[in-house]
Amino acid sequence: MVVPVVENLTRRVGRFMHDDDLRVELQSLLKGGLETKIEPRAWDQAKVDFILSRLREIDAGDYENKLVEAGFTLYPWGEGDDAQSCETCMYYVVHRRFCELPELMMPVEADWSCTLWRI
Amino acid sequence: MANLLWLQGGACSGNTMSFLNAEEPSACDLVTDFGINVLWHPSLGMELGDNLQQLLRKCISGEIKLDIFVFEGTVVNAPNGTGEWNRFAGRPMRDWVRELSDAADFVVAIGDCATWGGIPATAPNPSESQGLQFLKRGHGGYLGAEFKSKAGLPVINIPGCPAHPDWVTQILVAVATGRAGDLALDEFQRPKTFFQSFTQTGCTRNMHFAYKVSATEFGQRKGCLFYDLGCRGPMTHSPCNRILWNRVSSKTRAGMPCMGCTEPEFPFFDLAPGTVFKTQTVMGVPKELPEGVDKTGYIKLTGAAKAAAPAWAEQDIFVV
Ligand code: SF4
Ligand code: SF4
Ligand code: SF4
Repeated sequence: MVVPVVENLTRRVGRFMHDDDLRVELQSLLKGGLETKIEPRAWDQAKVDFILSRLREIDAGDYENKLVEAGFTLYPWGEGDDAQSCETCMYYVVHRRFCELPELMMPVEADWSCTLWRI
Repeated sequence: MANLLWLQGGACSGNTMSFLNAEEPSACDLVTDFGINVLWHPSLGMELGDNLQQLLRKCISGEIKLDIFVFEGTVVNAPNGTGEWNRFAGRPMRDWVRELSDAADFVVAIGDCATWGGIPATAPNPSESQGLQFLKRGHGGYLGAEFKSKAGLPVINIPGCPAHPDWVTQILVAVATGRAGDLALDEFQRPKTFFQSFTQTGCTRNMHFAYKVSATEFGQRKGCLFYDLGCRGPMTHSPCNRILWNRVSSKTRAGMPCMGCTEPEFPFFDLAPGTVFKTQTVMGVPKELPEGVDKTGYIKLTGAAKAAAPAWAEQDIFVV
């Protein structure tokens, strides 16, 4: 019998391993030239709501389309103080290297970015 | 013995419900232990019709000394400034309010509607509602900016939607027991003892605020509600996380954003679709930042805080 604490830890390790594999997969999709909707940026609430509504129509496991609709890049958007990267985004979970925006919920990298960035 | 009269204008009775839920002291304790004589209250008063009119007229004439006049709800002025939409005891309520305010030693406005207009005064304000001495942030309201009650104080504002029972009872006890002079009021005439700190003061999510870990759904046990769900805790003056609700919790502790109900602008953005429970941003940066913080500082702080966040801050630490 697995005691609950151990089971919990096993689940967490398993989750991170899955994240790593998926992150590599997403990276290769983007490196391979997947065209994502990087513009227009979601500067106002109406645009944010619009993109979120598109994302909600996508299956949770359809990561390719999530990358497209959210306008992912493998590099920060903008420069200097205005640079937007997952690293400073409110939805980014630093230690798991994960985006917790409910409509995305996927592994990312600190220097990636998407149009839904918010600080 | 201090005589207290409580009337209601354009209101939902929420503040009465809150007051009747008071525990220490309870509404009954106010009478038995603190010498408050409730002349009349919409839920407790015995007089009706002519008897009630007589009671009110005696308060105005001074035959019955009116120590504390409490008003809940807006002063309704519609239609066309007549106040006929809110008649009470044979005449527009607004006329009673004016005369009773002039007759009382102290005037206390309870809840957002009575203090600054609250939800009824939201644009387009069809009931032409006003607070007693404010309309939203504008000083003046129904009684005018210069109004002072007989004791020389402006209206004492206890905002909230509704006000917490303890804010109400403690201020009433202070006034009834002759300690009104100890009450320091802020620029919106709120007692500083309750309204100088922020909702955020004492919030259990402060560490998540500091490390910039965001809650993304209601009721989540980890994360701060400021970044995504529109929590107004850092900008709202209230003691909601110092004086807990039902003595056990608060909105933010339960995973629900503070809506800023003790501030004159409440409800914010006139309840436009998409503005409630959603942090309003411009180019990804919150439109409203915690008091005293500027945009550049905020962006720098966020980068540093996220980089420094320990792993535990990102996990659900409130495990049952
Ligand atoms: S929402 Fe933020 S964390 Fe998520 S992918 Fe976009 S920029 Fe990165
Ligand atoms: S949940 Fe609200 S009150 Fe609590 S720390 Fe976050 S912003 Fe402040
Ligand atoms: S937490 Fe905010 S919205 Fe809730 S009662 Fe307190 S001040 Fe009002």
